Amino acid sequence: MKPLTPKRLARTCAVLSLLLFGAMVLSLRLGAVPVSFADLTVGLGKSLVGAGDQAPSDYRMIIREIRLPRVLLGILVGASLSVAGAAFQALMRNPLGDPYVLGISSGAAVGALLSLIAYPDSSVATLLLAFVGAGATGAGVYFLGRRGGQLDSYTLVLAGIICASFLSAVVIFLMSTLSGPGFRGVAFWLMGDLSTPRPVAHGWFFLILGAAVAAIYTTAADLNLMLNGEQEALHLGVDVTRVKLVVYISAALLTGLAVSVAGAVGYVGILVPHIMRQFYGSDYRVLLPVTALGGAIAIVLADAVARSIVAPMELPVGAITAAAGAPVFLYLLRRRLL
Amino acid sequence: MHRVLCSVLRARAASRGARAAGFAVALAAAAPLARAQEAAQPKTGQSAVAPAATVAAFREVTDEAGRAVRVPMEVKRIVSLAPNLTETIYALGAHERLAGVTDYCDYPAEAQGKPKVGGAVNPSIEQIVALKPDLVLAQAHGMNRPETVEALERLGIAVYAAQSRTVDGMIESTRRIAGLIGAGESGERTAGDLRARLGELQRRLGGRERRRVLFIVWHEPLITIGRTTFIADALRLAGAEPAVDLEPDWPRLNLEEVVRAQPEYLVFASSHSEAIRGTFEELRERPGWRLVEAVKERRVAVISDAVNRPAPRLVEAIEQLARELHPEAFEDSEKRKAKIEKSAVPRASPGPLAMGSFPFFLLSWPAPRTASVSGPVRGLVEAAAL
Repeated sequence: MKPLTPKRLARTCAVLSLLLFGAMVLSLRLGAVPVSFADLTVGLGKSLVGAGDQAPSDYRMIIREIRLPRVLLGILVGASLSVAGAAFQALMRNPLGDPYVLGISSGAAVGALLSLIAYPDSSVATLLLAFVGAGATGAGVYFLGRRGGQLDSYTLVLAGIICASFLSAVVIFLMSTLSGPGFRGVAFWLMGDLSTPRPVAHGWFFLILGAAVAAIYTTAADLNLMLNGEQEALHLGVDVTRVKLVVYISAALLTGLAVSVAGAVGYVGILVPHIMRQFYGSDYRVLLPVTALGGAIAIVLADAVARSIVAPMELPVGAITAAAGAPVFLYLLRRRLL
Repeated sequence: MHRVLCSVLRARAASRGARAAGFAVALAAAAPLARAQEAAQPKTGQSAVAPAATVAAFREVTDEAGRAVRVPMEVKRIVSLAPNLTETIYALGAHERLAGVTDYCDYPAEAQGKPKVGGAVNPSIEQIVALKPDLVLAQAHGMNRPETVEALERLGIAVYAAQSRTVDGMIESTRRIAGLIGAGESGERTAGDLRARLGELQRRLGGRERRRVLFIVWHEPLITIGRTTFIADALRLAGAEPAVDLEPDWPRLNLEEVVRAQPEYLVFASSHSEAIRGTFEELRERPGWRLVEAVKERRVAVISDAVNRPAPRLVEAIEQLARELHPEAFEDSEKRKAKIEKSAVPRASPGPLAMGSFPFFLLSWPAPRTASVSGPVRGLVEAAAL
């Protein structure tokens, strides 16, 4: 492990932030109404300064009202799911550690679906119930995954898979008993979809993201030690149970957040951390921020493809991440990098 | 549901044909049926002579999905596997013989009292068999799965698959089903009535510019209709056309495309406009949606959800939409009513405006000359009531 200096971390993050900015500009440029790079930069610049509001032209309105919210939602979802994935992988010392494998996404989806039945018009209720669903599933899997008082990786993965399939059955049950024309949207919504950024999806959603990532980051050094085994970490003075709880709750929170606003976008939580490990090593103090940025880039690009590949129609972003994720996964597998 | 079914190519060819030469296709489609009847009739005659009366118990027909079906001459028990077919049976007055319906058959209300066979996509085969139907009606395009039809066929149950890609196809389908269940007269009457109403509508709308509309199947995610659906055909008959012309049946549309295309009207279909009102008000607040002129100016038409079902009631929905989009085409008949109304109600207070009733006081307003963005166009009945 290379020595970590604040300077190196900052440089790495700066490079990725630049890439993210590039992905954002690219994504903002794509759409039914053509916008030149020049217009875009001028528009963005003015928006940043806060001067562009007097007479917003059509394209600027389209960028601000349609494309930008969507790009921001992509950043939110990508960062949340990727960091949640990285966190679960560390906890389980298992490359398959991921909100999906653990069934936490399905739990969040069930929560979101229940909220859509009970409070169809409240996006706050959707968010809260997705949290509760993710949290409850996370806790359930955590306790089911224990054997002899210790968290056992295999038992945990199996418990997660069992929970995931059970909860998928619940989702399917809810969908088939309630499927009417009104529920058509939900099917797409659960596939992972950025097409309807809710007004509430900004501001404090990013605050939640920041808080949860920060909480996980405080345990980064401990996570590094735990990668070599929980017993070893325990002997080195790591409060393993506390670290696990903090990381679990934060990661469940991140999953609930992502699922409540965009549904179950697959493959991101498992792929982005692995790709980032190839470039930056597995030091969680670097990996966590880098994964957050990488996940944001991945989803912003995936959504740009989802919007433009069959324009003027669009695909759910989950379809793109799955289609792009599978070959990358296979490549990693063949190269024995997992 | 739309994923389901049937040779799309054939369906497309059929709908294209139907559009190109409606009556020719109608006649051609009816031909096998007529032949079958002719073939069957003499046999029935013979059966009076022959001791075994079961000789002509069946007739051979080709259904709308192109399958050969042996249907009993006398159909006493019918199971419908789609809401539109249930409606059709009721419209034909044959509901006494309806032995089973799906969970989604909610129109007319008494259809809900019939024995249920489950959903349209995965009905219980056992339940259908237990109802001992002489004939099962399935909707081949976009509703029932071919697997369901095959499963029933293997069990020796006659399944007639209807398939409507156009409004005319729906009328023809109604006629053919009527013939099959021995309600031919009722079928001819219904078909004649529907065609006459559509003819009258075309006379009124003749020469008027089509309104460019966005038919909203679902708004989250935004799903609209493709050009080969019967709904697109219904829109055309109502003096409208899809503002965005797309190939797939139920395309997911990018919102930005709506902003670019700026449809003149948004069209929603709903059984209760209450929910749509809420939805529409919500859309007005949404980033993106508020860039759509039709949303900004409340140019929205909420019509009966009958438009979603290829059954005789579809024509009602078409008439309703035509009135919403082209109020000026209906002025003559309404003016007479308006005169009576005016004499009864003081001019100053036009009275409460009920949803679906024509706002007579609007008639004194200048009718919009073009299909331009501004002006107190109609659809506005809904908007005013919102």
